[in-house]
Amino acid sequence: MTNLKTNKLKEVMYTYGTIIALILIIILFGILNPRAFLSSTNFWNITRQMAILAVIALGATLIMCVSEFDLSVGNIASFSGVLAALLAINGVPFIFSLIIATLLSGILGLINGYIVTKFKVMSFIITLAMGRMIYGLTYWLSGGAIIFNDIPQSFKFIGTAKIGKIPYLTILMVIISLIFIYITKYTAFGRKLYAIGGNERASKVAGVKVEFNKTLAFALSGLMAGFAGVLLASRVGSASPTAGDAYNLNAYATIFIGITLFKEGVPNILGTLVGVAIFTVLANGLTILQVPTFIQNILTGLIIIIAVVGQKVGTSNND
Amino acid sequence: MVVETKHLTKVFGSMYALNDINFSIKKGEIHGLVGENGAGKSTLIKILTGVYSLTKGEIFVNGEKATIKDPVKSRELGINVIHQDRHLIPSFNGIENIFLGLPYSKKKDKITVDFEAMRRKIDVIMDKYSIEVPLNKMAKELSPPQQTLIEIIRAMLTDCKLLILDEPTAALTDKETIILFDIIKKLNKDGTAILYVTHRMDEIFALTDRITVFRNGELVETVKTKDTTKDDLISAMTDSESENNKNINLVHKNQDFGEVIYSVKNIATKDKVVKDASFSVHKGEILGIFGLGGSGRTELLEAIYGYKKIISGEVIYKGKTLNKLSPRNSIKNRIGLIHEDRRGHSLVINRSIKNNVVLPVIDTYVRNGLYDSKKENNDVNQKMNDLNIKAINNNQKVAQLSGGNQQKVVFAKSLIFNPEVFLCDEPTQAVDVMTRGEIHTLLRNKAKEGKAIVYVTSDLLEMLEIADNILIIANGKTHELIENNNIDSKTILQYCYKER
Repeated sequence: MTNLKTNKLKEVMYTYGTIIALILIIILFGILNPRAFLSSTNFWNITRQMAILAVIALGATLIMCVSEFDLSVGNIASFSGVLAALLAINGVPFIFSLIIATLLSGILGLINGYIVTKFKVMSFIITLAMGRMIYGLTYWLSGGAIIFNDIPQSFKFIGTAKIGKIPYLTILMVIISLIFIYITKYTAFGRKLYAIGGNERASKVAGVKVEFNKTLAFALSGLMAGFAGVLLASRVGSASPTAGDAYNLNAYATIFIGITLFKEGVPNILGTLVGVAIFTVLANGLTILQVPTFIQNILTGLIIIIAVVGQKVGTSNND
Repeated sequence: MVVETKHLTKVFGSMYALNDINFSIKKGEIHGLVGENGAGKSTLIKILTGVYSLTKGEIFVNGEKATIKDPVKSRELGINVIHQDRHLIPSFNGIENIFLGLPYSKKKDKITVDFEAMRRKIDVIMDKYSIEVPLNKMAKELSPPQQTLIEIIRAMLTDCKLLILDEPTAALTDKETIILFDIIKKLNKDGTAILYVTHRMDEIFALTDRITVFRNGELVETVKTKDTTKDDLISAMTDSESENNKNINLVHKNQDFGEVIYSVKNIATKDKVVKDASFSVHKGEILGIFGLGGSGRTELLEAIYGYKKIISGEVIYKGKTLNKLSPRNSIKNRIGLIHEDRRGHSLVINRSIKNNVVLPVIDTYVRNGLYDSKKENNDVNQKMNDLNIKAINNNQKVAQLSGGNQQKVVFAKSLIFNPEVFLCDEPTQAVDVMTRGEIHTLLRNKAKEGKAIVYVTSDLLEMLEIADNILIIANGKTHELIENNNIDSKTILQYCYKER
């Protein structure tokens, strides 16, 4: 009887554990500082903070779907932000700076994917090495400095503007999330990604163009990272060659948290978004409570470990 | 007796892999073990080496009852095995590979590994049996026979009472085989008993003192080599009695085919597993391909489907040579492969039935940029219905299905693009009797519709049951084409064991 109960509890925890964790975190901060944390201003603020991490993490989710890694997304975001800022300073209209920087980032992702699939090498090390090269390139472009002088107002618009109380970035995040849910669930491409991640050999026997689809996933991941990089530069009104660094680990952490959301145990868009929410709420709440950054780092790392271990424990229970 | 088994039985599910085996190897003998595919040879080896546990029965080693719970225990008892595919660590040199799992020699400080001392121990063995092999090279730089020698040294380094050799000459040239035989004879003279497992009859007669024949998990006989002949052994391996009792249904077999729709010529693969394979299959024909383990049957199908690279030969389909072989092009041409490895190469086990079935044709459901889920659902449901797939619905994960239903999903995955040619590799492997019958009926009906079917199975009786014609493949080459008319399994095995 008790055994049955604990089993039931286990199942509930496994099915809804991630969501429960998010709610618990919100309740905790709500109790500790209701005035600052639970205000509507802070709510919209959190959604805006989520947007940039979300855009990077959604792109990287595609890579995780095919069981690969792209560890250059943070560096690509920095590169893209710096490039877009430099273009804007030199008089290129914002929309073109955005498009050029984003497309070039997509090409960087394409190169990642090409090398990984063509030579059948580990994406882990290739993208790490590419990231280092891109960092060098970005540093060169920016002269090693943070770019903030002469950035036109139009450049800062998308990252800071609101419709009523709703930030543009929040709206963008919602639209992009919907597109990604559509891609992964309702397109042949998305379904192939999951098939490749599930069994690459069987996909090949079934005639799926494994290399092509993987490369495309890398390109999309690069594209999204680049897009996020421009949004980040626009929001803070400056571009630094290290602006995207923190997003690398955070993006993968959110994906791993997202994997725990459903019992399929595969990367998924909704899960990644919940992961992003957990991360952002945590950072926001801890900052409001004036917890020092180093403690925030310790907690962040701890959460990633708990999420990954929790997922392993959960799936092995199913065996 | 070095090793003796009494009433040894191994059951997998409801299938007897070994049934009441009373088997013994005498001190100082070379004992041959023969039997067709699935006779139980490998199962016996795996039990003696602690890979499988036994279901019933006893094992005696040197007269004492032994429990072989794992490979370590097996080695402690003095039983060593050398597999067809060698188990060496590619980046380790000879010394490290030989001492793998054994205590390393240490210098005076008891911490530092003393490679020189290890080498001296190895040199003693190599001198004693005149084995020559470079010890400084990494395993991946060694040829197959050199790797076998490394394994033999490893076995002899411990007190080896029984050395089991499982198809050791599969990748060897004649000259290398002679060298290996010399070493085996020396080991044997020195008191090590040898259990020699092979499909090659000439080797059995050249080497062994006694021979044991297995059939369908049972021990048929143990005979002195000098008292038997190749024909006697083949007769013992095949079960003519049960064949007659089974009353194989020959009614549906025919030789009244349409034109040749698919043929392959002189196929050879890069890894040389397939050396020279040719055949033609007609519309309406079920062409069986039979070969013993390691004959290259699976590799041949993979190669002509475009999954494995070929270095020579061509595939001719509907009168035209296919110039770029790939799984994708094969599906476009409506040539389907039922791969032998269900979990590894056919199914995405953690995805739904629907996702698996439509995988080869997934692009066809995109209309004007939108995914036609309705048509997809209808198609999948229809296939599930046709094949009588038992599942909650098409969203159920294939991992949750029974083996038989999983195999039906594999078939649905081909039927979805309505193949003209079916390449089937062990399509009834690990499925229940019902499903096996359904698969046979399905393929026979497809043949009647004018499709061509290539059917590989290692089960002789099944081959006689389903095939119109049977092609023999041995050692990577295709040989005789036999009409499946008034022949029995003995006939087929005689072709397989023919000296070439």
